[in-house]
Amino acid sequence: MIRADRWGNRRTVVDPSVPAVEVVELTQRFGPVLAVDRLSLSIPPGMFYGIVGPNGAGKTTTLTAVCGLREPTSGSIRIAGHDLRTDRDTALAQLGVMMDGLSLPERLTATELLRYSAGLRGLDDGWQARAGDLLEILGLDVVPRTLIVEYSTGMRKKINLALAMLHRPRVLVLDEPFEAIDPVSAHSIEQVLKQYVGAGGTVLLSSHIMDFVERNCRRVAVVAGGRVLVEGPVAEVTAGSTLNERFVELVGADPVRHLEWLG
Amino acid sequence: MTRTLFALKLRLFRNGPHNERGFSLVAGLVLAALVIAGAAVAARGVIDEGWVLVALTVWGGMWLFGPLAQPRHDPSVISREWLRGYPIPAWRLARALSWTEMLGVGPLITLVCLSSLVVLATPRGPATVAIAVAAVPAQLYLLIWAGKTVAASAAWLLQTGAGMTLAAVQTAVMLSLSFAGWVPVAAWLLPRLGDGDTALTVPSAVRLPTSLTDMLTALPTGWGYSAVVPRDSAASNLVMLLALGALLHLVWIALTAHALRRSPRRAAPQRPATPGRGLPWPFTAPRVSAVAARELATWTRDPARGVELRTAWLTPLFMALIIGVTDWSWALPLAGPAAAVFGAMVAINTYALDGTALWQLLTTPGAIKADVYGRMVTWALLFGLPSVVLTAVLWAVTASPLGGVAVHGAISAAAVGCAVAPLLAVVMPAVGADARDRVYPGQQAGDPTGGQMTIFPVVLLAAGIPAIIGAVTGDRWWVTALATVLLATAVLSMTPTLVVRLLHQRGTRLLDAMASRDTATLRPSALTKG
Repeated sequence: MIRADRWGNRRTVVDPSVPAVEVVELTQRFGPVLAVDRLSLSIPPGMFYGIVGPNGAGKTTTLTAVCGLREPTSGSIRIAGHDLRTDRDTALAQLGVMMDGLSLPERLTATELLRYSAGLRGLDDGWQARAGDLLEILGLDVVPRTLIVEYSTGMRKKINLALAMLHRPRVLVLDEPFEAIDPVSAHSIEQVLKQYVGAGGTVLLSSHIMDFVERNCRRVAVVAGGRVLVEGPVAEVTAGSTLNERFVELVGADPVRHLEWLG
Repeated sequence: MTRTLFALKLRLFRNGPHNERGFSLVAGLVLAALVIAGAAVAARGVIDEGWVLVALTVWGGMWLFGPLAQPRHDPSVISREWLRGYPIPAWRLARALSWTEMLGVGPLITLVCLSSLVVLATPRGPATVAIAVAAVPAQLYLLIWAGKTVAASAAWLLQTGAGMTLAAVQTAVMLSLSFAGWVPVAAWLLPRLGDGDTALTVPSAVRLPTSLTDMLTALPTGWGYSAVVPRDSAASNLVMLLALGALLHLVWIALTAHALRRSPRRAAPQRPATPGRGLPWPFTAPRVSAVAARELATWTRDPARGVELRTAWLTPLFMALIIGVTDWSWALPLAGPAAAVFGAMVAINTYALDGTALWQLLTTPGAIKADVYGRMVTWALLFGLPSVVLTAVLWAVTASPLGGVAVHGAISAAAVGCAVAPLLAVVMPAVGADARDRVYPGQQAGDPTGGQMTIFPVVLLAAGIPAIIGAVTGDRWWVTALATVLLATAVLSMTPTLVVRLLHQRGTRLLDAMASRDTATLRPSALTKG
């Protein structure tokens, strides 16, 4: 079914029976290293979904494959029912992507970047109102002449989020959206994401900020060694303790011996 | 400390990489041997000894303006960033570091070259030989510290707003001298070539004009020579060499100590006066138009691209200046096709310069095709059309008989440059620091020499094809025009399709290569692995 929104744009209404993201038996090898090992996830639409895991667990590799930025060794990925391998353009059109540590067109201002992105996607005129809203809410409208290359880490996260949301995708894939940013920036991003999910969008994110995941995500997958250790509603996974405690328990932490020379 | 730094420098040399250093050593020794051979011939009176002075002046110029002072991306340079963390006074550290700067290929080959002074001195007796033996290290000392001081000053200037223009002017001077520096000599030998007269004017090459040798001996690069050959002021020349060398040595220590005391400052990037509006580009789709607007902003604001843009514009103008002061003004329109060649050479690394921003193109449906065509449209606007216009203007000004051929050559070269530059940017990316980490021109942005050496003959050949076909078919203008149109149409229609296909096939690997700064994943052997 197709319905018009407040900007007059036509949007396809989401079928709740089709997973927003479906990863089946995803395997990713880098030479002899097995980064992701037959990992499967099924994320329904409208879900705030978190992936947590230690460094090197395969979180970013999985999200990179979900975004189409890496060809998996085996397995399949479907975005809103569209296979990423056979129906790539339609699958990608459903996605908004925010990857950690990658450049943007660095010599543009925030407004120029959003205009460029709108042009590149062939968006209709409604993008201008959305861009204005996003820049204002994320506090980027106060530095209209600053180039992206001059942005702080927090500002980068914010403009990445604005870029990911500009075309109103059905699924947001966010790699470490809260890594190395201040609490005020994190708060802005968190509020925007809550609104997005409240309006029916799906968020798939990876994070080391257990507090955030526990507070916002409805489901969580704990990943280690490229495999899902446990997956389910946050309350079930935590089983009465905090997510942080449960995480350490699941992943295991080496005992730290006493350093005599510090005494 | 000096001993420790020397040991570190030797280890850096030993651990390589050796390719570039080996090439520089062999090429430098060959050139130095030619200077010595020239000195031997001059010592017997076959040619004027002034030719040795000319060679030594050019060699000194390479220290000041060229690659001898600071080879690009030389991994044997001890990192200032690494030393900055040590609790040692910066002045002391810089002084110890200065002695390690004397080690290297540049000083070695220059020492060999300067030994030509001893060859010149030999027929003049043991006293002159003794002066020459003293003049060689004194001249070497001056050249090394002149070159190092210029390089250190340039490194500081590159962090300022004027850095882009400064770096571009230096490169443009070197390029224009390399490509058109022979024209004054050729015009001297063949002054009436433009009228079809190929009679060679045999110059009295055995003697150089006295005014020229006087001027060259007055320069610091000629002080060692003038201590040996005229020998009228040997002592004072040697003292001047050592005094100026010591002064420059001190300046270098001061500049290095200053650099060690504070981390490199971030130059303010070129911001737009007002947040720009998208430009309505005629004849282009909205997506291509969006890419073209991005490219135009990037060419003017990115420090590495800014240097390349200015270099590509300045080099043909400097070439035109060099040609314009000779009797070969009929050759001026050829600076136009040369502009297209330089435009192509500076645009062959744009994907690597944009770095990991490629992810956006790979995750946006239809973006790759728009990106390729957008880059081509921008290239045509910045380099292609200006090169054709420059050719036409120079044709109109000089009324050169080569004007028509030059215009056809410029159109062909522009078409091939426009189409092939994005192709090489995908196939031969020179990956350096990612776009987000580059603020000023001095930061490593990847060395695209391989790609530039590949596209140079391709575009040069394209510039010549219409003229060759025209000549073969009896100089009929319409044949030349038809050849130009066919070549341009073929290359502009086929190449972008290939680039788009390549980006679809290997775009993710290209992104990996830029994220890891390792292009090994793009090699054919890696492409066959799962």
